[in-house]
Amino acid sequence: MREHNGEILKVIDVVKTFEGIDALEQVSFSVKKGQIKALIGPNGAGKTTLLNAINGIMRPDSGHIYFLGHDVVGLSADKVAHFGLSRTFQLVRLFTINNATVLDNVLLGAHMNLNPSLLESIFRRGKVGKIEEAARKKAIELLEFVGLGGAADRIPTALPFGNQRLLELARSLMTMPQMLLLDEPASGLNDTEVEEFTKLLLTIREKGITILLVEHNMKLVMNIADDIVVLDFGKKLAEGAPQEICANPEVIEAYLGTQNTEHGAPR
Amino acid sequence: MEKLRKAWWLILIAFVALYPVTIGGKSAYWSGVLIFAGIYIILAVGLDLLMGYAGQISVGHAAFFAIGAYTSAVLTAKYGFSPLLAMLIGVLLSGTLAWAIGRPVLALKEYYLAMATLAFNEIVITLIIGFEWLTGGASGLRDIPSFSLFGLVLNSHVHYYYFVWAIVLLVIASAVAVIHSPFGRTLVAIHSDEVAARAFGVNCAGYKTRIFVLVNVYASIAGSLFAHYMGFIAPDDFGVLSSINILVMLFLGGIGTIYGPILGAIFLKLLPEVTYLVQDYELLLNGVILIVVLVFMPKGLYGIFTMVRDRIFAGVSK
Repeated sequence: MREHNGEILKVIDVVKTFEGIDALEQVSFSVKKGQIKALIGPNGAGKTTLLNAINGIMRPDSGHIYFLGHDVVGLSADKVAHFGLSRTFQLVRLFTINNATVLDNVLLGAHMNLNPSLLESIFRRGKVGKIEEAARKKAIELLEFVGLGGAADRIPTALPFGNQRLLELARSLMTMPQMLLLDEPASGLNDTEVEEFTKLLLTIREKGITILLVEHNMKLVMNIADDIVVLDFGKKLAEGAPQEICANPEVIEAYLGTQNTEHGAPR
Repeated sequence: MEKLRKAWWLILIAFVALYPVTIGGKSAYWSGVLIFAGIYIILAVGLDLLMGYAGQISVGHAAFFAIGAYTSAVLTAKYGFSPLLAMLIGVLLSGTLAWAIGRPVLALKEYYLAMATLAFNEIVITLIIGFEWLTGGASGLRDIPSFSLFGLVLNSHVHYYYFVWAIVLLVIASAVAVIHSPFGRTLVAIHSDEVAARAFGVNCAGYKTRIFVLVNVYASIAGSLFAHYMGFIAPDDFGVLSSINILVMLFLGGIGTIYGPILGAIFLKLLPEVTYLVQDYELLLNGVILIVVLVFMPKGLYGIFTMVRDRIFAGVSK
């Protein structure tokens, strides 16, 4: 199954069961190159599980996932990353040991590009230093791009939570990805920050990077998503353009019919 | 400030160079103390790369110390190899063995990894005792010649001191190069969060194995230096107690700093020189000092060192 119809990601009949509970039941959908696709659904719908399956952190029980034509099911996350897929995490996962700075975190995004060698790091410090310098410059540009220009030398845990999410975004962009998986990137941001963040995502799309966005903030989703897929209890409930999803009675039911209304129903 | 930081290296080298002709010059004994300290610095710096940076615990760091020492000892004392060649064979053997066991062992985590490394240390010691015809067994191996370098025999303490410390400085310099390189950054990422590191393309098993090979090559070199200095080695020198001793140097000095374990190794090797004065209470006093440092100075000796240094610099800049 090669990439066709401009589909960069194709998920086919993915199933995952945790101790008898169906986390994902035969989920299928696809993402077109260059679009922002939103993945929505109540808590526990299986959104993060699906992202974990796509980027190789978790292996689904069955099904296929094609990214740029490669079947990534069964591949480890580091191999999938090499195809040009990067992500952020719902509960931020930044590198914090040994006083790693904000800049260090972004620079780790250059790992695949630098492909550090142990012998070169000892015996060819000049060469390594030169490549590192270029990466450093790019990392600082990206920090400025996400609005963390002045924070390069700070410790990531000292940043407000919203900024830690932006840092994760900068780290992912540093990998020069074809596609980004963003797991609730706007949670913890206030209204002004969400507005800034919306602009940021649109700029990223303009750069040709495809985005699959898990998000509870419906205003954000309706503003920028080209296409939406809705999950509920591990099943795909609906897929389509934002207007269609808003009008879909099943979707409204899933959001309003559960006690899980704190994030608001689609408007 | 930046100049002073760089000068710190020059001060260290100057001290090392001048030590035998000044403080250590009183007797061969005092050169010897620093030779031992140097050998343990090589071990502690290596363990710090593995534990403090890559986050992989080892309770068996003396295993490859033993392999290096016995390779050198057997090849030189029994088969007449030149010490330098024997040392290089030890390095090759240790590197290959570390590469072979690195992947399966380092797939384990935390307590399981600690148990596996401890067990490996025990296996090595058991094999050394078992292969008595080759290693001399539990009673040890004697008549190991002094180190010689291209026909020059380093049989004076001062000569050997310079040789050992030249290697110590190279080990420190290479470790510092690693931690300041992208490779070091990748190790820290693995230490922080393996899953996240993998999501950024890091082949965690590969990186852990590579650093495991490097630190065990260090340990092997330390073993060779130790064997030629002692002239006699026995399995007791390389047991789990010895591994724990290296761990203590790490925590005492300040783990994850490279410089800390250097201070820890020197401190732990010099401590008996002071506490022997109280004779019967020597072990007790050693223990008390360790507990006090570990409880009240969690950042270790290096933490105290940086605090004092920063105070002085703050004073100077006023």
